[in-house]
Amino acid sequence: MSSIKHYLSVYKKFIETSFSVQLSFRTSFALLIFMDLFFYISTLATVDFIYDHVAVIGPWEKNKLMFFISFMLCVDHLHMTLLSESFWVLSRQIRTGELDFILLKPVHSIFTIFFRYIRPSSLTNTIAAWGFLIYFGSKVPLTTTAWLILPILLIMAFILLAIIEIIISTAMFWLTEGLGINFLRMQIQSLARWPDYIYKVLARRLFTVLMPILLIGSAPVRFMLDLKSWDYIAGMIAAIFVFGFLMFKIWSRALIRYESASS
Amino acid sequence: MTMIKTRGLTKNFLSYKKSPGFMGSIKALYKRDYITKTAVNSFDLEIQKGEIVGLLGPNGAGKTTLMKMLTGIIVPSSGEILVAGSVPADRNKEFRKRIALVMGQKSQLWWDIPAMDSFLLLQKFYEVSDSDFKERIEEMSTLLDVKDLLHVHVRKLSLGERMKMELMASLLHNPEVIFLDEPTIGLDLVAQENIRYFIKEFHRKNNTTIILTSHYMADVHALCKRLVLILQGKKGFDGPIEEFEQILGREKSVSFSFSETIEDHTHFFENWSPEWNQSFTKVDLRLPQEDLRDIGKTVLEKFPVIEFNTEKMPIERVMKTLMEKPELALGENH
Repeated sequence: MSSIKHYLSVYKKFIETSFSVQLSFRTSFALLIFMDLFFYISTLATVDFIYDHVAVIGPWEKNKLMFFISFMLCVDHLHMTLLSESFWVLSRQIRTGELDFILLKPVHSIFTIFFRYIRPSSLTNTIAAWGFLIYFGSKVPLTTTAWLILPILLIMAFILLAIIEIIISTAMFWLTEGLGINFLRMQIQSLARWPDYIYKVLARRLFTVLMPILLIGSAPVRFMLDLKSWDYIAGMIAAIFVFGFLMFKIWSRALIRYESASS
Repeated sequence: MTMIKTRGLTKNFLSYKKSPGFMGSIKALYKRDYITKTAVNSFDLEIQKGEIVGLLGPNGAGKTTLMKMLTGIIVPSSGEILVAGSVPADRNKEFRKRIALVMGQKSQLWWDIPAMDSFLLLQKFYEVSDSDFKERIEEMSTLLDVKDLLHVHVRKLSLGERMKMELMASLLHNPEVIFLDEPTIGLDLVAQENIRYFIKEFHRKNNTTIILTSHYMADVHALCKRLVLILQGKKGFDGPIEEFEQILGREKSVSFSFSETIEDHTHFFENWSPEWNQSFTKVDLRLPQEDLRDIGKTVLEKFPVIEFNTEKMPIERVMKTLMEKPELALGENH
């Protein structure tokens, strides 16, 4: 309990200092808000345009796919707000030895490295992201149970995405240069932005079992659309535990590998 | 009470040689000539609680690597370390709360916010109570004379001011062991002196164990009673500063200035390695310590001396000689 309190008090300061830093650069702050909004609207508009010409894509009609896209936009929104900055900073921290001071802090290094930089500008788009999700959720329409578990599933989806991305980023300790790893991470993330049924059997199995990126969106949305689809959620929970365990193991190996930089 | 203990501590780094130019880069894509460099080699060290130890050595000798292993930042290739009762590489929470590292060439402060915001974040990291935090900030900022700068963005501070803030940031949680890696590098003389005074005061009040590396012998002279010399990753000396000063022999360096040119300069001084200036009005001599008094008296009586000095920091001369000839400390077969 005291440990949770400790982490929360540090995290509160992360938020405050991130606000303090970003609000020093007002134009950049406003541009980031606009950029995120543009991304949400263009993504939804693309799917909307496709449905102007076809009635269904795979098994889902327009509202179901729009709900899926909105769900993934909310996961992306959490990702952009809480995590995304840190992945770009990590390789610089490894190359320049900035990581030294982070490793000295008396909290877990994954927490200090990946949750240090919060993007307050993205936080201001919460209303837009959740607005789309609630609108298309009501169009589906979702059952009361589905509405109640929606926030929990959203957080689980975010956790699974974070775990997979941290595992991929850990490769930076071996490769030092992070640009290629970051692009790989983004490409893999973009696979999850579409429902699993658009992929061929082999690719679907690969990205559901070996690298469970497709479980991030497809598992919770399928479950909310049909509460009898327990297998999807069970798979998602199992993936969180298995890959979470793997993440800590690989991270420990990476820290042994860390050589810092000359002073 | 032993605070730091290492036995056979070794760290090897793997790197590769790259030929220059574009073709060299292409070749390095498919074939790399890897080389192993031993940065620290079988290093044994024992430091007691409350000691201030100067870790000396030329650039690339392994000082910083040793510090990084002692703090748990990097993991040794082999050997054992125990710092404040913990194995640093385990990186347990309690260990990290008991140590601090200050690096003169790296910053732990956030550049785009005032130092005070960084301190408040560190307060949460180290779970320092509000009352202790206020008391320590007040005390340290007064001692370092930076009270007016606490709310200025770090990027706007001068190097000396920033270094003072770095020290405050590192000592806020009142660590038991402090690793200072060139804390005065690049600072002007006044700032160097301020920092030395601050470290001395902090040590006096808290009986902290301190390991200091610095290329400024004035730092070492002012703060350390014991020196550890590291040359090519190996220990070359470990003992009191007075012993280190005599590592090349029990000689003192004395300089005499004369009111006129000394015509017969070869005969009288030849036994004491004289080094004259161009006009033969000033000479530096190396005198055996036991004869210092007699020879000094004779020179004063025999020649028109207007000024004489003994060297202030013999360690500077010793360090310079050992850096040029490491075999003097390591032995011929190192």
